[in-house]
Amino acid sequence: MSHHLFLLSPSDTPLYSLTHHSSKPVANVSSPLSSNLPNWSTSAFAGTLTALSGASSSAHQTSSGAVRMGGGQDRHVIQMIANASLDVIEDLMKSQSTMFLKSVDKFNEWTVSAFITPGNMKFVLLHEGKNDDGIKAFFTDVWELYVKTMLNPFHTAHTPIRSTVFDARVRASAKKYL
Amino acid sequence: MAYTQPHSRVSVLSTSSQSSSVEHLSPAASSTRFSLPSIPTTPGVLTQRPAGVRPNIYDRNLNKTRITEVSGAAFTFLFSEIVQYTQKRVSGINDLERRLNTLGYRIGSRVLELMAWRAEAASKAPKREIRFLPALMSIHTQVWRAVFGKPADAIEKSVENADEYMIVDNDPLVERYISVPKDMSQLSCSSFTAGIVEAVLDGLGFPARVTAHNTPLPQFPSRTTILIKLEKSVLEREEIFKG
Repeated sequence: MSHHLFLLSPSDTPLYSLTHHSSKPVANVSSPLSSNLPNWSTSAFAGTLTALSGASSSAHQTSSGAVRMGGGQDRHVIQMIANASLDVIEDLMKSQSTMFLKSVDKFNEWTVSAFITPGNMKFVLLHEGKNDDGIKAFFTDVWELYVKTMLNPFHTAHTPIRSTVFDARVRASAKKYL
Repeated sequence: MAYTQPHSRVSVLSTSSQSSSVEHLSPAASSTRFSLPSIPTTPGVLTQRPAGVRPNIYDRNLNKTRITEVSGAAFTFLFSEIVQYTQKRVSGINDLERRLNTLGYRIGSRVLELMAWRAEAASKAPKREIRFLPALMSIHTQVWRAVFGKPADAIEKSVENADEYMIVDNDPLVERYISVPKDMSQLSCSSFTAGIVEAVLDGLGFPARVTAHNTPLPQFPSRTTILIKLEKSVLEREEIFKG
């Protein structure tokens, strides 16, 4: 299963993104809708949904054989889901004082968890399985790395993060916890 | 090799001869204060790192604060240069204060993240401040302690305007060795501090306009008030929380 991480500046500009393919097995969270529908209708439904979300994931269906719901592996669909969850996150962060907001939003197979730093940076993670402790540990690591990035006098809250060391550390942490 | 002589970076004060400058600044403690903490000073540390690899912020422990404190003299010197540099490039007192505020803002946004990380990273459920008054309290005590080594002296709420709060410092560190000329009596170099406060409030989601004003008392000639004028949205949000 895969994870998608986005770091967003206070003005919601993406500063860094990461796609991580975990080697751990998928904890099978089949959507209740898809499991109740017969096979042929699932695929038909998926086709409709992909069309609706503007995705073109026909390649997915032919190459992998297994039909995925909603074409959810496409890059722009992932970005749309992450962006759509921002509304919920911004609502929650005004009323909840915890930095880690777990499972704030759901879209098809994706669950969205978020982490808000005191400086109003948003870390958004799209994941499939349930792994609260791991995700929290991962966010804490990313936060530490972000604080260190922030201490660089040439970095502002709106500078994209291009450091290779940062990237390597985040990947290492993702490997460890996700 | 350059690293074995930490004095070389201070020797600009007297370029004539290396040895005399070392003697002049000699107190052994000053070398540890001036040298950057990331520079290896013992041979043991040097051997751990392959040659040609620069030390990296990501390798550092963010909790090591004791040996990385900056001496007051060094800070005062730097700040006096900052004010002089800025003053040469502005047209008036307002402009100067605005620039100092901007410089402080850059520091405040970092202080906020770092301070919160040090306080919260080890806890099970890290928290942010979402109410204004606790946030103001933490600026008064924690931010002041992190930046100046002591809490501020008072918090006041304006009687006339509901959206105005004040933080009072009887002896602000940034102004301790600054005497403002008579013809610039409006100037408060604590605009720098105001910038720090503004950044912290902004980061926590309480946008405000923060300014510094001289409010001297006979016993505290450099007493300064940091005036916080909150934006309307903050007050509306606080009302919702009360209800």
